[in-house]
Amino acid sequence: MSIQKVAVIGAGVMGAGIAAQCANAGLGVVLLDIVPKDPAVGRNSLVEAALAKLLKADPPAFMHPKAARLITIGNIEDHLELLRDVDWVIEAVLEDLAIKQALYQKLLTVCGDDTLISSNTSTIPLKLLTQNLPDSFKQRFMITHFFNPPRYMRLLELVQSTVTRQDLVAAVTHFADVQLGKGCVCCHDTPGFIANRIGTFWMQTAMLNAVALNLSVEQADAAMSLLGIPKTGIFGLLDLVGLDLIPHILGSFKQLLPATDALHAITDITPIMQKMLNEGYTGRKGKGGFYRLQTTAGQRIKEAINLQTGDYRVSEKVSLPALPTRQDDLRTWLSQDTPINRYVWQVLSKTLAYSASLIPEIADDYVAIDRAMRLGYNWQHGPFELLDLIGVAWFTAQLMTEDRTVPALLSQNKPIYQITARNLTALDLSGQYQPIVRAPGMLLLSDIKRAKPAVLHNASASLWDIGDGVACLEFHSKMNTLDRDSLLLIRQSIEKVSSDFKALVIYNDADNFSAGANLTLLVTAIHQRDWLAVEELIRQGQQTYAALKYAPFPVVGAPSGLALGGGCEVLLHCDAIQAHAELYMGLVEVGVGLVPGWGGCKEYLRRWLSFSKRPGGAMPAIAQVFETIGMAKVSKSAAEAKELLFLAASDGISMNKERLLADAKTKALALVSNYHAQEPAVFQLPGESAKAAMALAIHNFHLAGKISAYDVEISLSLADVLSGGICDITLPLTETTLLNLELQAFVHLVKQAGTVARLEHLLATGKPLRN
Amino acid sequence: MKNIVIAGYCRSPFTPATKGLLARVRPDDLAAQVVKGLIQKTGVNPADIEDLILGCAFPEGEQGMNLARILVYLAELPLSVAGMTLNRFCGSSMQAIHIAAGAIQMNAGEVFICAGVESMSRIPMGGFNMLPNPVLAKNYPQAYMGMGETAENLAAQYHIERVTQEAFAVNSQQKTYVAQQKGLFNDEIIPIKAADGSIIQVDGCLRPESTAQSLAQLPTAFLANGSVTAATSSPLTDGAAAVLVCSEAYADAHGLNKIARIKAIAVSACAPEIMGIGPVGATHKALLRAGLHVQDLDIVELNEAFAAQSLAVLHDLPIAQDKVNLDGGAIALGHPLGATGARITGKAACLLQRENKQFALATQCIGGGQGIATILEAIS
Repeated sequence: MSIQKVAVIGAGVMGAGIAAQCANAGLGVVLLDIVPKDPAVGRNSLVEAALAKLLKADPPAFMHPKAARLITIGNIEDHLELLRDVDWVIEAVLEDLAIKQALYQKLLTVCGDDTLISSNTSTIPLKLLTQNLPDSFKQRFMITHFFNPPRYMRLLELVQSTVTRQDLVAAVTHFADVQLGKGCVCCHDTPGFIANRIGTFWMQTAMLNAVALNLSVEQADAAMSLLGIPKTGIFGLLDLVGLDLIPHILGSFKQLLPATDALHAITDITPIMQKMLNEGYTGRKGKGGFYRLQTTAGQRIKEAINLQTGDYRVSEKVSLPALPTRQDDLRTWLSQDTPINRYVWQVLSKTLAYSASLIPEIADDYVAIDRAMRLGYNWQHGPFELLDLIGVAWFTAQLMTEDRTVPALLSQNKPIYQITARNLTALDLSGQYQPIVRAPGMLLLSDIKRAKPAVLHNASASLWDIGDGVACLEFHSKMNTLDRDSLLLIRQSIEKVSSDFKALVIYNDADNFSAGANLTLLVTAIHQRDWLAVEELIRQGQQTYAALKYAPFPVVGAPSGLALGGGCEVLLHCDAIQAHAELYMGLVEVGVGLVPGWGGCKEYLRRWLSFSKRPGGAMPAIAQVFETIGMAKVSKSAAEAKELLFLAASDGISMNKERLLADAKTKALALVSNYHAQEPAVFQLPGESAKAAMALAIHNFHLAGKISAYDVEISLSLADVLSGGICDITLPLTETTLLNLELQAFVHLVKQAGTVARLEHLLATGKPLRN
Repeated sequence: MKNIVIAGYCRSPFTPATKGLLARVRPDDLAAQVVKGLIQKTGVNPADIEDLILGCAFPEGEQGMNLARILVYLAELPLSVAGMTLNRFCGSSMQAIHIAAGAIQMNAGEVFICAGVESMSRIPMGGFNMLPNPVLAKNYPQAYMGMGETAENLAAQYHIERVTQEAFAVNSQQKTYVAQQKGLFNDEIIPIKAADGSIIQVDGCLRPESTAQSLAQLPTAFLANGSVTAATSSPLTDGAAAVLVCSEAYADAHGLNKIARIKAIAVSACAPEIMGIGPVGATHKALLRAGLHVQDLDIVELNEAFAAQSLAVLHDLPIAQDKVNLDGGAIALGHPLGATGARITGKAACLLQRENKQFALATQCIGGGQGIATILEAIS
């Protein structure tokens, strides 16, 4: 049983988003909804509108607009026949039992015996959904609960009954993992399953305690993000979810949970929230919520609500020092009597205690809960990983000091996770440690790092042995920016891999592959007017990346998230790339008044010049590269990176980030036999004629107000490089000539006040300057 | 001097580049169908045709390889028909008519197909490999100046307000729409068969919903603080057009429909940064050669490259509004560069016949600073 074709019934936000993600995986999808009551509109108009909305969604629902063509639309009255050859039908209609059951009856008439039918319900228990339905239905029915937005949220909660066919469960788990990139977590048939049960408890607790402790919304959000919760914190998240949904969510829990559940005590809507709802504040989708954007005199100003008075004021940036890393220091910190410290302790301790009280009610073990919170709420650590950070015994002792109930499960005072023989193990419910087994094809750098020491290491990067003769180069500086240490470790790795390994993968498991070169170094050199140091930095990067390109072993880049500037350039020098589907790759140097200087212009131009699908001579390739670098275009997905030729047609895409390293390793090993480093490229470029053509385009863009005065300067420097400089189209140029042109343009630009202003502004504010 | 006549005119529908139905049609296939249509429509004996002269502004890629000769094969004309492709940018296919007329005068042929084509979807303006002379580009940049900038220059020089340009554009849209609704294009359009078998026969660039209010909302297209917008410029268009040119004696001998006589022709040149004023010089020359005055003209087809450009020309050539572009113009209909000259000359001839008038003028501006004009006279 394998899933080749999917249908989604119900084209609301979730249904449409799930359909888009299936299309992103390259699958045919049928998307149906009801026929609108109004006979004046088309019978498919609901789905047509949903598809149009998907195409405009921000963040984008599709990885490439072409994916939309894989969706066949229709309605459940005229097009049920389309479901006949579908392997998986996902129901995502209104949360109304009668409507769902009526639909299931219809599905029974058309779907094949092996078709999996699942509901995306977030509130209705499975036993109610299948009530009064025949066993033949119950056997192929389960709940598959996606998170919003389905493209970006990595959790898929699965709920099955005792009679659900295991081959179908296995098929959907494998499909969701490999094709949709989701992490599946098996949940019990309880209200809100895992993530929303704990998430809702945490949100209410965090909100109520912030009000009680008289914190500002910014303070509360900053405090929550200390715990590794996304920087939306609590109030930013409530705004994102939509304030109008909160009473429904709480009401539903209140109705479904037993009165003894701790969530019951905190389901009342706070007065401040009620006031906002009464005044029509629904969050980001509406006129604002705890935060709002006000436009005064053409300026957009972020405001935040005062939790005590309900008045808005200009939002203040709150930045708190990171939590101490040593356990003793962390415990001391949590015990300190300042509002922030007390707040973090209260929210953390209540959430941890509540989570521990829910096993085995909602899940089989700790690991499932941690995984659900990491993947479903983007927490850096799950509740029990947080618990281990502070220590179970200390935690339970604190609860006792405060006269609070200690969850029975924690009474043994054993750490939840333990490293046994360099392997990660987790406590089971009988008090034994069991190894955590990864699915086949999943290789986590964190497991490798636990198992053995690094082959090479410095402050910015490390080299790891990932088995089978493959080494993995990991960047681990802040935002994985590249500095002298990163470059040094690349050069050392080349030497090491040449002698001790067969292939190299460049990968890290951070959110972002690399945000680019470390600009602080550059700005320091500029301030000292040390042009030799600037030149040296460029040369060093060029030579390091060239050494990587011509190393005697295959190099596979495996990026995920941002791969910008110097981070993009290192990938352009790899033999192949295995990318995570969520890849935001681009040469963005013009944003700081520069041009790519570590071989990025050269390599990107080579890709377009050797691309056979574009008509004409050199100019179309040059124009494409000029436009992409000149506009600092960043791909919005790996699929788009392919279209931009940042990725080659033969490069691979992994939907599941947890499979990226294993996929990259496989790709590297496939290149090992008979490996020869590629031949250096030879360029034939039109020189000043090409520059004249680009200058005309720059002139017209500037006239039309599309680019700024300093954009003109940078673009002309870029045109100098891409045209080939002073040359003739009949005479070949070497890679070195192109690298020298990059260097000249770079050094010219760093001496300009406009570039210095851009660099300083970015470092000071994190935002680009358009001067 | 011999009398030379226009004995047939037809065109493809004009559709917007990239988005329109002709975007997926190769320009050679497109033009070949129009040429075939012209042969059928006029009933001319193809064996008598001396030459197929084709105008094209960017004759490369699918428009390359001396496309005129390729059309002879594609349109299944006798191999004895010669073919030449010529380039005078937007004036290309009107120039084809001028060359035919000159050849006929020289006894260098009796009957010619004068056609034009441009797929602005498939071959970008400027071509695939625009490589300007770097020294000239530096010392005399207006040689390569963008067309939008030249329109802004005329708007500034002639003090043509944005609102005036928009009124002109709305008027053009309305005239074109009315003509389409009345079926006035039906006779001239050759339905085009696409590779997928579908038939394309309706002009697709029109925006009849345009109003002064809606156009006022648009951003400027070429100059941040300028006045020219997408709505007051002719759109990028795909299309082809063809005209049959022959000696009047040949037409009489073979019973062809004589639509109009070619009375005089001219080209002229001006400063490239105000190329849009080109029609003024060319028209004055042609009028002089025809022995006529501006007020003698009954019908005028003035190509609407830009509203600002057309208004500047009409400022210098005082012609009553009701004589100009009776069935609308390029702002609404579209401007497939190489095809426009054949369209407006063929159209002027047909209008002369339809409106039963004496003298017509077809004129247009040309990038790089040129003008071209043809004066036609009724047959009767």
